[in-house]
Amino acid sequence: MEIPVDWYLALSAILFLLGVIGVLFRRNVIIILMSIELMLNAVNISLVALSQATGDVSGQILVFFVMSVAAAEAAVGLAIVIAIFRNKLSVDVNDFNLFKH
Amino acid sequence: MTPQFLFFCLAIVAITAALGMLIARSPVSSALWLILNLFCVAGLYLTMNAQFLAVVQVLVYAGAIMVLFLFVIMLLNVAALPSVRDIDWRLGVGFVLGVALLAQLSYAIASSTDLMPAEVSLESTVATGSVEVVAKELFTRFAMPLEMIGVLLLAATIGAVLLARRVSPK
Amino acid sequence: MLQTFFPLFLQLLMAGGLALTLLLGAKYLGPKRPNLIKRQVYESGMDPVGSAHQRYSVKFYLVAMIFIVFDVEVVFLYPWAVTFKDFIAAGSGLGVLAVILPFIAILAIGLLYDIKKGGLDFDS
Repeated sequence: MEIPVDWYLALSAILFLLGVIGVLFRRNVIIILMSIELMLNAVNISLVALSQATGDVSGQILVFFVMSVAAAEAAVGLAIVIAIFRNKLSVDVNDFNLFKH
Repeated sequence: MTPQFLFFCLAIVAITAALGMLIARSPVSSALWLILNLFCVAGLYLTMNAQFLAVVQVLVYAGAIMVLFLFVIMLLNVAALPSVRDIDWRLGVGFVLGVALLAQLSYAIASSTDLMPAEVSLESTVATGSVEVVAKELFTRFAMPLEMIGVLLLAATIGAVLLARRVSPK
Repeated sequence: MLQTFFPLFLQLLMAGGLALTLLLGAKYLGPKRPNLIKRQVYESGMDPVGSAHQRYSVKFYLVAMIFIVFDVEVVFLYPWAVTFKDFIAAGSGLGVLAVILPFIAILAIGLLYDIKKGGLDFDS
């Protein structure tokens, strides 16, 4: 179509950046996990854009795999959050310094 | 409604929703902002002729993953969530790192105009992303990665069951 | 290309517009005369006790997690179901079956494990 691929890449970069900022700023571990999902989505946009620009569908297949990995990551990550919440009664990452003594 | 106009609408809403997710105080509204963002990304997939991917995006992300997130937010005690956002040194460091990353990425995008092949045949891209095209690639070239995804999901199932199950006292 | 999806946009627009109209209409058009009795939570005439924010059981999380895993599985099964006839016509039906059956079997192991560990037991 008439939309240049650079626009998609720029949007992808901006969304990825917002995800990075979310991981760095927020203390709530659930929001940090959501920011990671946002970053995965930003990467997916660039994958699909490049797949369309080159006319090769394998980039889209890769996005399916990324989505599966995101689902697995969310399931295990949130299970870890629940497990830590049981012991610490908190979702603040500053309270998650389990390896300190 | 030209495609460019549609792209700008979706992009602006997507960025606004991402910002809303970052600055929302309650995790529930954060999750709702992220769902809006995911819907916009699904719309962007449609503008790129990836129809099946757009449907899957809504189905998996907005339908399943965000439900899990909202579930966990409800599962945990609302009163225990951090109420005040801290603005400490991490904000400064994060801002500098973010700007550096943006500069790097935009430099990479701006300087890579020869990334694309000179000639892209429009005929091949038009059909891209329909279920048939995706299935043909998925079950022939990507058969082995598909099995690996099965193993990954199995590992995630077992891991999540082990982690989340309440350890019953013997 | 995008004209194909115009009905979809129309439907999204109507769904969102209807929800917004109803919510905003109820917010701005209806008369509001709140008092203390009206604002109370309705508990069949009793005074409300405790907080509404109760923690759910982790069992619900396990069900949601299983749902996600099989949602992703369905995403991969869907293109198979749509194009299986074409694959048979092309003579590669058995090959595709040999790809998809192990995939289903691997995920079934996860379900069996969850059942065996009592993840779907709601009685205990």
